[in-house]
Amino acid sequence: MTKQTALVVCPGRGTYNAKELGYFNKYHSDKKFFLHELDTLRQSKGQRTISELDGAGKFSSGTHGTGENASLLIYACAMADFHAINREKYDIVAITGNSMGWYLALAASGTLSLMDGAHLVNEMGALMHKNGSGGQIVYPIVDSEWKTDPKRVQLVQNILEDSRKTKSVKIYTSIKLGGMIVFAANDAGLKYLMQNLPEEEHFPLKLNNHNAFHSPILDAIVPMAKSNLSASIFTPPSTPLIDGQGVIWQPYLANTQSLYDYTLGEQINSTYDFSAAINVGIKEFAPDKIIVLGPGTTMSAPVAQELIEQKWLNFAGKEDFKFRQSDDPFVISMGMDDQRKFAL
Amino acid sequence: MFDRATVLENAFKEHLENGNFPNIDDVQKPESVGLSPLEFIDLFETQIMTRHLDLMARRSKGKTFYSISSSGHDGTAAIAKAARLTDMAFLHYRDGAFLLQRKKHIKGATPLYDMALSFTASSDDPVSGGRHKVLGGLEVYVPAQTSTIASHLPKAVGAAHSIAMARKLDINDKVLPNDAVIVCSFGDASANHSTAQGAINAACWASFQNSPMPIVFVCEDNNIGISTRTPKGWIKESYNNKPGLEYIKCDGTNMLDAYRGAKQAINTARNRRKPVFLHMKTVRLMGHAGADVQTVYTSMKTLKTTEAQDPLLQTASLLASQNILSPEQILQMYNALGNRLARLSVQAFSKPKLTSAPQVMEPIIPAPCSHKPTPKLVSEETRKDLFAKDARGLTKPVTLAKQINAALGDILAQYPNAFLCGEDIARKGGVYGVTRGLLDKFGPARIIDTLLDEQSILGLAIGAGHNGFVPIPEIQFLAYLHNAADQIRGEAATLSFFSNSQFTNPMVVRIAGLGYQKGFGGHFHNDNSLTALRDIPGIIVACPSNGEDARKMLRESIRLAQSERRVVIFIEPIALYQTADLHNKGDGLWLGNYEAPAQDKTISLGEIGQYGKGTDLCILTYGNGYYLSRQAEKRLAKYKIKTRIIDIRWLQPLPEQAILKAIKGCKHILIVDECRKTGSQAEQIMTFIMENNIQIKTERLNGEDCFIPLGTAANEVLLSKEQIIDAALGLTGVQDD
Repeated sequence: MTKQTALVVCPGRGTYNAKELGYFNKYHSDKKFFLHELDTLRQSKGQRTISELDGAGKFSSGTHGTGENASLLIYACAMADFHAINREKYDIVAITGNSMGWYLALAASGTLSLMDGAHLVNEMGALMHKNGSGGQIVYPIVDSEWKTDPKRVQLVQNILEDSRKTKSVKIYTSIKLGGMIVFAANDAGLKYLMQNLPEEEHFPLKLNNHNAFHSPILDAIVPMAKSNLSASIFTPPSTPLIDGQGVIWQPYLANTQSLYDYTLGEQINSTYDFSAAINVGIKEFAPDKIIVLGPGTTMSAPVAQELIEQKWLNFAGKEDFKFRQSDDPFVISMGMDDQRKFAL
Repeated sequence: MFDRATVLENAFKEHLENGNFPNIDDVQKPESVGLSPLEFIDLFETQIMTRHLDLMARRSKGKTFYSISSSGHDGTAAIAKAARLTDMAFLHYRDGAFLLQRKKHIKGATPLYDMALSFTASSDDPVSGGRHKVLGGLEVYVPAQTSTIASHLPKAVGAAHSIAMARKLDINDKVLPNDAVIVCSFGDASANHSTAQGAINAACWASFQNSPMPIVFVCEDNNIGISTRTPKGWIKESYNNKPGLEYIKCDGTNMLDAYRGAKQAINTARNRRKPVFLHMKTVRLMGHAGADVQTVYTSMKTLKTTEAQDPLLQTASLLASQNILSPEQILQMYNALGNRLARLSVQAFSKPKLTSAPQVMEPIIPAPCSHKPTPKLVSEETRKDLFAKDARGLTKPVTLAKQINAALGDILAQYPNAFLCGEDIARKGGVYGVTRGLLDKFGPARIIDTLLDEQSILGLAIGAGHNGFVPIPEIQFLAYLHNAADQIRGEAATLSFFSNSQFTNPMVVRIAGLGYQKGFGGHFHNDNSLTALRDIPGIIVACPSNGEDARKMLRESIRLAQSERRVVIFIEPIALYQTADLHNKGDGLWLGNYEAPAQDKTISLGEIGQYGKGTDLCILTYGNGYYLSRQAEKRLAKYKIKTRIIDIRWLQPLPEQAILKAIKGCKHILIVDECRKTGSQAEQIMTFIMENNIQIKTERLNGEDCFIPLGTAANEVLLSKEQIIDAALGLTGVQDD
C-alpha cells in the first residue's frame, strides 16, 4: 500500500464537551501508562486526575470546561489520538493546531516530550484559570454555504473600529478561525459585542470559561508563563510545525529559543491565525489528507471553510464539501465516529 | 548524457551517500562570517528549494512554461539574508534563491507553492496573476519584473536616489526607510548592455559628487551569456576602479563567502550611502534554459568542471565536515523537500489559467485598488507667496510655455511628492525656459538637473515612483526619447501588468518635440515621430495645441499619475511654446489667461476640443496641425466652406467615441497629422473610421516619411497651411479661383 501524506491539526480549548465525556477511556484504554503519568502530574499539583475527569458520571461545564481541567483533558485525548494514527498508512508531513492546539502540536512534533507538553499545557491552563481575564465571542464571516460574505467581513471590521471610540471597551481579533472570527474582549467589550453583533442562530456565541486569549488583554500572562516554564524543554521538531502566524518551523533549522519566545510571547497576546496555518499547511505541504485530532467535532468546519476559501481541491462550498467527505474524506476528524476509522 | 539536471542530482546524491565531498581549501565556520549554524542551514534549505524548483521546471514539460534556472546562483540567498526586508531589490531572473530566502521569512507566506504557480502561469499566481514568471512581491519589496536586458538597472539607481529625496522632503507615501539600500542584480553578460553601463555610470556620477547613492550592484558572474564566454577578468577590470564605486568580490558558490561579501557590500552601501559593485562568482548549471543544448558550444570537460562547483554540494560539504548536519540528515532534508514540491506542484498545476484577452489585459491599466487620493489644493495665501514674482506677468495673456511653467508651479505646490528632473531644467530653466524660476521656488531637491542620459532620467522617474513619488521627468527633445524608449516600453508601461497592479510607477514625462522651428535645429530638434509611443499598452499620450489646454491637460495628467497610477507622456510642441499670434502679427490669438487651479475648468482624459460647428468639413488634428488648421479655416471660410476643427488632444488612447460624436453630420473629414505618413496617428484614425463604417469622404494629410532637414528645406517635408487649404478644397470639391 502506498503511504499517504497527512497534515495533522491539533484541537484547541472547548473541544471536550458533554458528548466527549469518556473519550479517552472509549478510544484509548490501551494507553493506560500515558494516562497514569498524566494523573501523577495532576496529583502532584493537587488537581483532579484525568482519569477522574474523563470517567466522571456526568459532564459539568463548571468542572470539565475550566482552563485548569479542560486543557490537560483535551491534551490527553488529542495526543492519544495522534499516537493512534496508523503510520503504516500515513506519513505525517506537517503538524499545526488551533489556539491551545499549538501546545499540542509542539508535543506531537517532538519539540516537547509528551510529559513536557503535558506540563506546559497544564501550567498554561492553570495560569489562565487563575490570572486570565475577559472572554471570547465567536461570530461567522461566511454565508450558509461557508463562503466568505464581504458584508459580514465589513460588519466585523466596523465593529472593531467603532469599539475603539469607547475607552473602556477593549476588543481584539483573537482567532481567525476559517469562516469565523473569534473576538477577545474585556468584560465591557464582551457586553459591547453581545449588544452590537446582529443575532443569527446561535451567534454571537460567547465561549464559557474562556479568557481573552491571543490578545493584549493577556499581556500580563507572558512574564508569568516565562518565569514558570523554561526554554530548555524545547528541542527541534522532528516533523515540520506550522504556528498561529502561518510560520513553518522545520526540523534541523528551527531555533528552539525562538520557538519558546513565540510560544510564550506573541502566541499568547496576539491574533492566532488558524486560517493562515491551514493555508500554509495545504499549499506548502499539499497533504493527501488532513487529520483533525479529537476530542470534539468542531474543528473540521473551520478547516473546511479555509479549504473553500482557497478553492483547495476545488471545494466549492459547504454542501460540496460534505458530499465529497462521505466516502473517502479529505478531512478526517478523529472525533467523529464515522471518520475516525480512516485514520487508524 | 544531455540531461545535465539529472547528472547534477545524481552526483549530489552519490556524494552524500558515499560521504566523499569535494575538497574545500578554506573551511570556514559559519560563525566566522557572522552566521549561526541554524542560519547556515536556513540558507542551505533555500538552496535545496531552488534546486528542486529548477528540476521541477525541467521535468514538467507542458505543465510549466519557464526553465531559466537559478541553480548555481544560490549565493543570492546570502544577499537576501544580509540585506533587510525593506532593502528593495530589483532582481536578475536567476535569483530564485534570493526571493525564496526573503519569502520564507514572511509570516503566512507560501513561497514554494507560489513559485510553482508562477512556473505554470496560473491566474492564482500572487505575483503576476498568471501573466509571466517574474520574481517579485509587494511584501518582500521586490518589484515584479524581468531582467533580460539589464533594463532594470536605471530604475534601481532611481530608487536609490529617491531614498534621500524622500527623507529630505518627508513625503507621506514613501515606501523605503531613510537608511534603506537598493539591491540590483544582473548577469556578467548583461553588464555589457548600454543600459547597465549607463545606470552604473549614473550612480558613479552621483556618488562622485557626494550625492547619496545607496545601491549594491550585484554582478552574478557565471562567465557566460547564453553561449558566449565573458573574457577572463573582464568584469573585475571593468569595475574595480570606477570613480565613486566600491568594488567587492565574493565567491557565490561558497555560501559563507557569499554571505561575507554580501554583508560587506550591504553595510558599505548603507553606512556610506555609496554605490557598491558586488562581483559574485557563480556557476550556470543546467544550461541557459531548458531547450539549451550546452554541448553544442561547450566541451564536456568544461561542463563537468562547472558542475563540480555546484554550490549545493559545496554547502553540504561545509555542513557535513563541521558536523552541523550529517550526510543522512542532508539527504533527508533534500528528499523531504523534493517530495513536498512534487506534491504541491501537482496541485499548483491544476490551478486555473487566464482564459480570455480581457482577463490577461486587466492590469495594463492599474486597478482601482492601487489608486491614491489627490492632494488638496494649497491655500490662496501660499499661492500668492509662491507666485509673488510672477504675479504681474500672469495678469495678462501668456504663451503656452508660460502656462506650463505656472501650471508646474501649482502642481509642485499641490503635490508634495512631485518633482522635476531633466537636462538643464534647474539652473538654466530648460532650453526653452519652460521650467525657469522653479528652482528658486522649490529648491534643488525637487528641481533636479540630471546628467545627459535619458535612460537615467526615466530610470530616476521609475525608481522614485516605486518610493511614493509622482515624478515629472523631462526629455529635452523628442528625438532623445528614442535611445531610452525601452525605459517606457519595456519597464514603466509593463510594471502594473507584470505585478497584477500591485506595483505602479506613476509619472508624467514631459517631452518637447515636433517640428516647425523655422528651419533651426534639424532632425534632432524637430523630430516628428510619435510612433514609438503609439503601440504601448496602457500609457497615455497627451499633446496640447495651446496654452490654456496645456495647463488644464497637465493638471489632468498629474492627477492621472498620482491618483490612477498612470504613465502619461506629455508632448509639448516646441514651435508653439512662444507663439502669440494666429493670423496676424500682434493679434495675440494664441495667448491665454492663466487661471489658478481652484477657479479653472478641467479637461478630462479623452475630452477633445472643437472649434466651429460647420458640417462641410471636419478637420481632425492636434498640436501644430491644429494651429495650422485654425489658420487655414479663415481662408476656407472665404470659400464658404463651413468647418469644424477637432483638437484630439489625447493621442493615446485615441478618444474614439468622442471623435465619432464630433464627426457626426459632417460631409467631409480631413485628418491633419504633422507626423510622418507611415505609422502615424492618421493611420489609426483612418482605420478606425473605416472599421466603424463611417460613410463620410475622408482623406489624410501627413508630414513626409523623412527626417527633418535644416533650413527652409524643412518646410518641404512638413505639412503646411497651404497644403491643408488645398486638401480641403480638393476634398470638398470647391474650386480655388
